[in-house]
Amino acid sequence: MNKRSQLICLWAAPLMGVMVTIGWWLLAKFVPPPLPSSGAAEIAELFRQNTNGIRVGMILLVAGAGLFAPFIAVISAQIQRIEGSPPVLAYTQLLGGAMSIAIILIPAMLWTTAAFRPERNPELILLLNDASWLIIAMTFSPAVIQNVAIGLAILGDKNQPPIFPRWVGYLNFWVAFLLLPAGLMTFFKTGPFAWNGLLAFWMPLVVFAIWFNVMFITLLKAIKRQPDVGVLR
Amino acid sequence: MNARVIEAKPVSTRHIPGELGLWIFVLGDMLVFGLFFSVFVFYRAQNPELFMQSQATLNSNYGALNTIFLLTSSWLVVLGINAARKNLNGLAFKLLLLAMLCGAGFISVKVIEYSEKIHAGIGLTTNDFYMFYFILTGLHFFHVLIGMVALAVLCVIARRGISKPSDLAILEGGASYWHMVDVLWIVLFPLLYLMK
Repeated sequence: MNKRSQLICLWAAPLMGVMVTIGWWLLAKFVPPPLPSSGAAEIAELFRQNTNGIRVGMILLVAGAGLFAPFIAVISAQIQRIEGSPPVLAYTQLLGGAMSIAIILIPAMLWTTAAFRPERNPELILLLNDASWLIIAMTFSPAVIQNVAIGLAILGDKNQPPIFPRWVGYLNFWVAFLLLPAGLMTFFKTGPFAWNGLLAFWMPLVVFAIWFNVMFITLLKAIKRQPDVGVLR
Repeated sequence: MNARVIEAKPVSTRHIPGELGLWIFVLGDMLVFGLFFSVFVFYRAQNPELFMQSQATLNSNYGALNTIFLLTSSWLVVLGINAARKNLNGLAFKLLLLAMLCGAGFISVKVIEYSEKIHAGIGLTTNDFYMFYFILTGLHFFHVLIGMVALAVLCVIARRGISKPSDLAILEGGASYWHMVDVLWIVLFPLLYLMK
């Protein structure tokens, strides 16, 4: 097994974290989110005032989202060690991760479209901004599928010692459950379940950060513990 | 290497029902429900009249009936696990099956309650109280459904009998989860139906 390429893929993850934080958060200033209750004029004003911040921020978000792919691949590589063949949970996790990337890339490009002609009809900017927020924050199923697949794989691990600690499996189920309330934001423009709300935005964001760090650390340990076989050079 | 050895051997002799990892899920889940409950109380304090009026439209008999269902089923699960520990497989199976029946009772009452509300034109977006009512009870309902699957697995194991340590761990783990579902309801019920 090539540990070095796994480690390279794994370290793409913190790089992604940095790029997304700078792009989405600091430059585009999309955290905290613009209010779902805002009208067209207010939202269009955000895009007019911070046009280049949003443009550069979205380049970083697109770049960062791409770096999520190697990280997802490492998770699947380690799950495959648990599963053997055929590694269906590893595939499921991989597909869930791929869809997660899509739901970051699509809104990034819709925000880019809005910032491309900020002078356009404010109603259209509002539409693009609504679509972006709903896609990025409400599309819960890819991540839920991913977490359930990881959780099932970890709890089914017969290796001694296990590839991942078993509590990481339970953590993944917990994360899957916490992402569900985001699916309700279609009903609300204010309150805790709106796209800027405590329970639909901030809680999933914190939970994602916990999951991301736990997965990074446990993957790092799993790769380092992996026996060197098949290296014949 | 050392870490692995320590992981493999229990450090203390105190028995943890199920396994340690499960308790991370249970405590994590209760923490999140705690957050949801706090947000509910915060919103309630902003608009107590609306919350009181809306609360008055809930049928607390349904809530009370469901409390009895869940408490009874939790008790049956305890009896069932004890029977399984004594290798009384037939008895354990019957007790766990009865616990599942109570769970089914809870689900039926909840479905009747939801459909009454929806027929009365009350939904998720009616007001803040009903938003919390539907989301909190809905998330709990989802937990009950998962719990029913868990209980079904426990029934199968109980009928077959405990043959290895992992069987007992699954029995205890599933039971712990079901007790958590019960505990969450015991907080949810007074919070939504009774709080003055």
